[in-house]
Amino acid sequence: MDHSPMNWGRPRNDAVDLYGTYPIPQRPYNGSKGSFSAGVQHTQQPIVTGTSVLAIKYKDGIMMAADNLASYGSLARFKDVQRLQAVGDYTVIGASGDMSDFQYIQTVLDELMVDEFTAADGHSLGPAEIHEYLSQIMYARRSKMNPLWNSLLVGGFKDGKRFLAYVDLLGTTYSASTLATGYGSYIAQPLLRKAVEGYEDVLTEEEALKIIEDSMKVLYYRDARSLNKYQVAKITAAGTSISESRSAETIWSFAEDIRGYGAQTQ
Amino acid sequence: MPDMVPMSVAQPQERQFNPYSDNGGTILAVAGANFSVIAGDTRQSEGYSIQTRYAPKVFRLTDKAVLAVNGFAADGNMFVKKVKQRLEWYRHAHSKDMPLRAVARLIQSMLYARRFFPYYVYNILGGIEEDGSGAVYSFDPVGSYEREACRAAGAASSLVQPFLDNQIYFKNQTPAPGTSHPAHLALTDVLALVIDSFTSATERHIEVGDGLEMYVVLAKGSPLQGLELVQGVQEMSTTTDGERVFIVRRNLKRD
Amino acid sequence: MFLTRSEYDRGVNTFSPEGRLFQVEYAIEAIKLGSTTIGVRTPEGVVLGVEQRVQSPLLEASSIEKIMEIDRHLGCAMSGLTADARTMIDHARVTSQNHAFTYDEKIKVESVTQAVCDLALRFGESVHDEEAMMSRPFGVALLIAGYDELGPQLYHTDPSGTSVRYDAKAIGSGSEAAQSELQDKWHKQMTLQEARTLTLRVLKQVMEEKLDHHNVQLAQVTPANGFEILDEAALKSTIQLM
Repeated sequence: MDHSPMNWGRPRNDAVDLYGTYPIPQRPYNGSKGSFSAGVQHTQQPIVTGTSVLAIKYKDGIMMAADNLASYGSLARFKDVQRLQAVGDYTVIGASGDMSDFQYIQTVLDELMVDEFTAADGHSLGPAEIHEYLSQIMYARRSKMNPLWNSLLVGGFKDGKRFLAYVDLLGTTYSASTLATGYGSYIAQPLLRKAVEGYEDVLTEEEALKIIEDSMKVLYYRDARSLNKYQVAKITAAGTSISESRSAETIWSFAEDIRGYGAQTQ
Repeated sequence: MPDMVPMSVAQPQERQFNPYSDNGGTILAVAGANFSVIAGDTRQSEGYSIQTRYAPKVFRLTDKAVLAVNGFAADGNMFVKKVKQRLEWYRHAHSKDMPLRAVARLIQSMLYARRFFPYYVYNILGGIEEDGSGAVYSFDPVGSYEREACRAAGAASSLVQPFLDNQIYFKNQTPAPGTSHPAHLALTDVLALVIDSFTSATERHIEVGDGLEMYVVLAKGSPLQGLELVQGVQEMSTTTDGERVFIVRRNLKRD
Repeated sequence: MFLTRSEYDRGVNTFSPEGRLFQVEYAIEAIKLGSTTIGVRTPEGVVLGVEQRVQSPLLEASSIEKIMEIDRHLGCAMSGLTADARTMIDHARVTSQNHAFTYDEKIKVESVTQAVCDLALRFGESVHDEEAMMSRPFGVALLIAGYDELGPQLYHTDPSGTSVRYDAKAIGSGSEAAQSELQDKWHKQMTLQEARTLTLRVLKQVMEEKLDHHNVQLAQVTPANGFEILDEAALKSTIQLM
């Protein structure tokens, strides 16, 4: 437990001050003094980033969603980026975090799937295998102090079994019936848990889609780095499918009535 | 506290990738005369967020060794994976299961090998020694280790360890005149203490909860000692004629 | 064209058409030139005995080292090109110490024997076009005696990297006669004392010189005292008992 009075009531992860409320106390730092000092440049921070990815289990499989925005800081830089990607016949991965690192991951997975296909040994990589492979890559990179700056969701359906798991830039992994990355883990995850936990085996596709759409809408209202243009993937016994981009009905007229939100008349 | 930057003075800060995280949770183990109990909650968290309600922290290594791992989950999982690999290699090289004290020393070697980029994990190893006695070994992240009768580690260790000291080592208790404290507790008493430890830790620590997994390792030829009456007990061992491993699961509060 | 035997003598790793590795076979032949070495296992421990050929009266007999300690619970006797044995015993010692360091337990006799055998097959091995570390097979056979959780054991290794466990084994120049004698005289419930005298008797039979405390050496591995080379007094009293 952290007993330091400086940290009372503060966010617990002292590497990040999410709200920029105070200067983060620093321990004396004896490492390299700059990114060029070692001669090799490592990713120090994400540049062009994607925000939350959501995913849930339902009766027939997995449903996953992510919007089409890739931000450059607070600038909405690219507005037609696909952050959901099918890998093989049974798996979809969704990425938040650095988009160039995600593209690298896609390249690596493409190569992997081609290698596996050309082996023609009767094995096909399912979601569990792809997730394990990704975890090993992510953990190996963090151990070289050169992380792939992403949080990834891996959803799949193979041999009659659903699979849903998370892996991030630290190599941290976990599995649950609802998952959300980034801002979505604060905003959407509680909503998803309330709607899904205990109902994984009874939720229909329509119900699952409603839950996802509602959560994406809330995220669009609350997350300044989100876009009202997103895709939904489903992975079932029938295979993978990723929808065309869609948007949610939103109402912003109320903003006019809130002082400090819309144009002020006085 | 190390010299810190005064709060009022803003200055450029070296931002460096932090390869570690703390994923909360608590583990504990208690050694009996001829058994060992190794337990951990199943919540995995980061900061104030629960990542999952079920991520096991306790792993059966062999029929006589069970390892609990707590701290940074990615390091923990990788460490367990590597220990299991070493146990498999040992089995092939020496055609036997690794004895518990050898597992303990192996874990120390593996942890210390990473002295300058440590696995951020606290390990507790429980099981049965070659002489049939119950044993617990506890480790720090860089490999210091010792054999003990009981140990708690992780987020709520500062809550649980003093309770264990009092209830298992009888610290701060004076025996009634003419009597003495028992050297070892019965299995059913230990299980009750473990469950109480975790329900209490769940109440008082936000990073503990969701589920409890308790592994029980019994010495070769030992009777079940009341384990057969425990609700939902499941056997995990590969044979019934050597040491035996059982698991007992309980729900903890999810708030 | 059929190649003659001698053409397959060239490469250490080349099979002959009959499926033989001549260099390895020659190495095994080299052992038969070595002095006789005997190992006897009993339930109480293992006895090792060697003949030390004192070729000259000016030679210091005690400087001939044919029995060596690997670890407290492991000993080793050799026959053949004894210089080669140094490399092997060095490897065995390091393996044993590493095992104790990593696992906090005594290494098993079988495991340390296997480690030595693994080394025996590394001849002719090279990476890319670097020079091979060992150019020829070892010309020595070992009797490895030890004690572990499976009790006292005796292993024999030869240049082919094969290891076999024995109750009693003789190697070296007098090995054929010695082995048949051991086969006659060894029995399951032998005491350590009986094993010591048996070892000396068999050595005496195959030795050209008269056996005395200068030209033989005895060692034993017991659970109580581990590996020990018998000192002059103990050796003399055993010779007298014989």
